[in-house]
Amino acid sequence: MSGSNELPLLKSARREAVGALLIWLLVTIYSVGYCCAYGYNRDPKTLTFILGFPDWIFWGIVVPWGGSTIISAVFAFCLMKDDDLDS
Amino acid sequence: MLIAVAEIPSPGYSVLAALLIFIAASVWLGAMAQKAMEKQDFMQGFFLGNRGLGAWTLALTATVQSGGTFMGFPSLVYSFGWIVAVWIGSYMVVPLTGFAIVGKRLAQLSRQTNAVTVPDLLRERFGDSRVGLLASLMIMFFLSFTMFAQFKAGATIMKHAWPGSGIMALSEDYDAAPARDGVTKTEGAAKSFLKTWFPLDPKYYMGLAIFSITVVGYTLIGGFMASVWTDLFQSVMMVIGVMLLVCLAVPMAGGLEQASKAAITATSTDIAFGPGYSTSGREFLTPGLALSMFFVWVFAGFASPASMVRVMAAQNTEVMRKSIVLLSCYNCLIYIPLIMTCIAARSLLEPLGKQSDEVIPRMALLVTKDFPLQTGPFVSGLIMAAPFGAIMASVSCFVLVIASGMVEDIYAKFINRNATEAQLRRATTISMIAVGTIGVLANLNPPEYLQALVVLSGSAGAATFIAPVMMACYWRRATATGALAGMLGGFLVYFGIYSCGWAQNWATANSSLDLAKQILAILGPDPKIGPSGLFRPYYILGVDPIIWGLLASIVGGIGVSLISRPPSPELVKRFFEIRTSPISIKNDEPSH
Repeated sequence: MSGSNELPLLKSARREAVGALLIWLLVTIYSVGYCCAYGYNRDPKTLTFILGFPDWIFWGIVVPWGGSTIISAVFAFCLMKDDDLDS
Repeated sequence: MLIAVAEIPSPGYSVLAALLIFIAASVWLGAMAQKAMEKQDFMQGFFLGNRGLGAWTLALTATVQSGGTFMGFPSLVYSFGWIVAVWIGSYMVVPLTGFAIVGKRLAQLSRQTNAVTVPDLLRERFGDSRVGLLASLMIMFFLSFTMFAQFKAGATIMKHAWPGSGIMALSEDYDAAPARDGVTKTEGAAKSFLKTWFPLDPKYYMGLAIFSITVVGYTLIGGFMASVWTDLFQSVMMVIGVMLLVCLAVPMAGGLEQASKAAITATSTDIAFGPGYSTSGREFLTPGLALSMFFVWVFAGFASPASMVRVMAAQNTEVMRKSIVLLSCYNCLIYIPLIMTCIAARSLLEPLGKQSDEVIPRMALLVTKDFPLQTGPFVSGLIMAAPFGAIMASVSCFVLVIASGMVEDIYAKFINRNATEAQLRRATTISMIAVGTIGVLANLNPPEYLQALVVLSGSAGAATFIAPVMMACYWRRATATGALAGMLGGFLVYFGIYSCGWAQNWATANSSLDLAKQILAILGPDPKIGPSGLFRPYYILGVDPIIWGLLASIVGGIGVSLISRPPSPELVKRFFEIRTSPISIKNDEPSH
């Protein structure tokens, strides 16, 4: 291994890949976990609606979807680095 | 009160007019693309757009969108209810994972190797022509299934666009069912021949001919850029259509909450909960399958050969960053609004039964019926033409990727190593016409279950390519033998598990036979989960085979790499380290 000689793009790409995979993992655990806990085997009488969405869809999908969009934008504009593709 | 099908206005000539506008626009875009790529290197220009994709073209074309987004997906929402939001939920991170996991590195490697195709890149990166050949054959195999299904979908839409042919739909029950039992002994030989080889409605064959000639034609004229620009055009039309639909449909249903409550009244409370509404007792999305879908879309998204080629064509890394944001916003405007529209449809339309993939066309006609100045039919026609545009764009991309594999990975590498540009151009033209002809022949009497095969080939592609591509991008110790093991491991495990599923489904349907009993004794009874149809996979531990395929590919790729001879230091240095060229310092030059 020769870390000091490594292509700069490779270093930033690897770091960004790890970041993106971690975000995917967190979103998967949260969304699937929340929806399975509150959307399956539930008494229908307890169902409420938030902005027209069933409560478990709102908190399990709609909110994380909005959150992921913001996180993706922050990731792309603040954390990802521009590199020369021809390097 | 539910609206009967008869009360919805007929599409008349509006859909046909909209489709013709789409076709004309696509041919025009093909001609423009040809002008744009003139004076460039033929292979780089025709198959990769000279690596000049900007943020919009990259964001709105490098993803897994096709006719299914506008027809298959809404059909699932209409059929199973809110649980489909979980089924598609991972699209919230697809823009990020699609570009941030391998995007930059793949684009860099493709420049370092001067690769035009994914197999080209893998061959150079691993320094072994076997890797390129295997990758090329597998890509052709996977994409062919998907492409054949899209040919059929395009022809079916053209057929239904004719006035009096009913609403547009992709349902396979539509054209396959009445056709195959039509041959009788009293009919003449010629008639019998026609019924055997051309068993479907003549309008279908006319649609197939028009669709194929158009798509292959404009792709032949404009190459990669024609495919990309058509894709961008349909993506914009699609988002306009979805916004229009959701803004009109939800208020018409009395609001989203009211629509959900009406849907519950019309069906059962299952439509608002997991695992989804079903009249057959089959559980559509169990927790294990919900988890699987967060693997399927994410990994099939960035490892699909068609997507990887688009990423390789990105202009620079800034374009990729902007694409993440653009695509994230685009997905927000497509998927959740489509779900809202289809839930509203449950409270507005009479049950559609097997024709559930008509839900969007019917809603388009319904919500625009009171538009002033008779503009409703034309607006609904444009909304309905969006999936047709998506299918054209998909086929164009697949034709291009398959043809590029035939020319670059087989003809130029094995048949004619010193091919001139004129010979490459001729080979490209012949390949694309051959691919189009095969697509037409395969759809003269199209097999059923093609939609299931599309999902199968997409997931199998992900299971096959993710580990080798990740290894190529980030692992110095990865070897050619490891990459081959990763590809074959993922492919064989995925198809092995699927084959068990087919055997189980066949045995369930023929449970009185001895062989069927033996199969069921080994594999167990149908677990009654997942989608219906013959092409269900076998669910080990209740999850989709993509997870086992990925695991096998990773273990095979890493394991075999570690036990095989390490790659040469020169190869590693070429792709992982800064090039250090000798610097000659001239003493007579002034220092700065």
